[in-house]
Amino acid sequence: MIQLCSNDDPPVSFTVPRKAVELSKTIKTMLEDLEGFDMEQTPIPLPNVDAPTLELIVKWVEQHQDDPPPVEKPRVEDDDSDDSDADDDQEPEVVIPEWDKKFLPTDDEQKNQLFKLLNAANYLEIKPLLDIGCKYVADKISGQTVEWVRDYLNMENDYTPEEEAKLKEEIAWAEGL
Amino acid sequence: MGALETEVDRLQAENDRLRRVLSDLCERIVCGRLTGDLPDNFLEQFSRLPDQPLEKVLRFLPAHQVAQMRHVSRRFNHLIKKCSKTMPKMRRDGTVVFKTNSAGELTVDWFDFCGQKFTETILVGDEVALSELVRLIHIGGTVWFAQGLSATDEILVQLSMAWLEVCPEVVIFSGDLSHTSRDSLRAFLVKVQPFLGRLHFQNVNNIVSSLLSDDVIGAAGWLEGLMIKPECCGSELLNFNIGDETLLSLFNVDSPSSYFLVMGCSGITPNGIRAFIEKWMKKERLEEDASISDLGLPLEFCKLTFYKCANVTPAAIEEVCGDLLKKITPVEPDDSFVGGSEEKKERIRFTSYCPSTNCRLEILFHYVPLHNYYIDEPEPNFANDYYYHDYHEDSESEIENDDIDDYDGHDAIDYDDEDDSDLD
Repeated sequence: MIQLCSNDDPPVSFTVPRKAVELSKTIKTMLEDLEGFDMEQTPIPLPNVDAPTLELIVKWVEQHQDDPPPVEKPRVEDDDSDDSDADDDQEPEVVIPEWDKKFLPTDDEQKNQLFKLLNAANYLEIKPLLDIGCKYVADKISGQTVEWVRDYLNMENDYTPEEEAKLKEEIAWAEGL
Repeated sequence: MGALETEVDRLQAENDRLRRVLSDLCERIVCGRLTGDLPDNFLEQFSRLPDQPLEKVLRFLPAHQVAQMRHVSRRFNHLIKKCSKTMPKMRRDGTVVFKTNSAGELTVDWFDFCGQKFTETILVGDEVALSELVRLIHIGGTVWFAQGLSATDEILVQLSMAWLEVCPEVVIFSGDLSHTSRDSLRAFLVKVQPFLGRLHFQNVNNIVSSLLSDDVIGAAGWLEGLMIKPECCGSELLNFNIGDETLLSLFNVDSPSSYFLVMGCSGITPNGIRAFIEKWMKKERLEEDASISDLGLPLEFCKLTFYKCANVTPAAIEEVCGDLLKKITPVEPDDSFVGGSEEKKERIRFTSYCPSTNCRLEILFHYVPLHNYYIDEPEPNFANDYYYHDYHEDSESEIENDDIDDYDGHDAIDYDDEDDSDLD
């Protein structure tokens, strides 16, 4: 068992099976680097993750600890291959499993929790969780207006009116295509 | 000692703190400037999310929406631009035509598959760079450089930008190439090389010396069709430096029908043509081709057409490759070929056929009408359902009187007696 600590003051700690915690590449690498130390006795502090988020992470990795490891598709860096079609560059099809659908904080009031979860999944390098989370956000955004997306993602429109007009023109052109 | 250790620890801690501050600051800088005061709940917000998940979200979106999302905020725009190489792109597989008018404005016309124009953009000066315009577009199909100085170094350099998806199967240069240098042309051809099947220089003029050389054309890799036809102004015909090397490295094993058409090229020699014939006739066929039908391999067809090439004359071909070829001089008058009565006399066709591989090769002089190979520029408001002339179909009737059946293997001499009377 491994102990993980949130960044709260005082830290909240969670005890997680090693197998589950190794779904996080960041922690897995760390444990490998610290081979020989008794990691069971040493809590691992996670400075970027708060307690509610860590609780979600722990729930998720425990649920998925027996999943077959994801097939790592070698990322073609400079694709000069002959048959590089457009879909080479696109994300592979991601399907959100039923359990995860219920698990993800999907209510609109909870969206910041969802974003924090994605942040943590990114920091901890839990690729499958990051995939489904980003897929969920993309599905949510898909087909929505710019204003809606801005609002949903808590973003400010920081363009000057001139910049905005110019960009609008460019975008309108691309849409006509 | 103890004091020193304490000091080291203190410096270490200070170092870590500064590093954190620095990385915090880096995240606040968007598009090169500080975003100003941050909201209190900044940490809670999605905009705090590192670029990677945000980029991932964007990649899940449909291509047309990604372009729209640039509008959300500077950070979004910056991120989309930064990652445009891997962002979903809108596919455009029709034809894109670049034209420069007399005022120096670059027009970019887009046509769909049927030659229907759907949009036109005029770029003046540096207001919007071409590479910006096509940043989120996958260009397939045909790329046309028409009229004026449309394939200038600047345009070719922009289209060669690493993050752009410029993947045309056909590239046509026409018009004035005086502002096109070999380096930019070469770089462009290197970029499109994996996709390119046909490369045409149709009625090009003002070609800078050494622009068209083995090295530059070689950058386009294997092609199924290459046409180099400078604009013909009376008897003054520009010579260019394409040599046997280009001819010999031209065709891929799996292109079923290929052509090579050059005008006014002294670099090609009869010996090079002989080497090419030997290579072509012995070429290995793909196994999958053989399994397609019980009748054996489908016909593979290759045509070499020469116009006014100093070293490649019917007599020279006759002398060097006579043992590999059959010569045919058409008896019927034919109005469809180019050139005046002088060229009419030189209208000669050599053929060679290898039954074991079912490969046929023709060498023509002033024979097949040039426009059979031409690819017409799509015309605005004009719906034509094909603008590729099918060169294969047109030449079918000419093949019929060839005696294929008495050809009995590789490299055999195969003369056609009745047509020999015109020889000399």
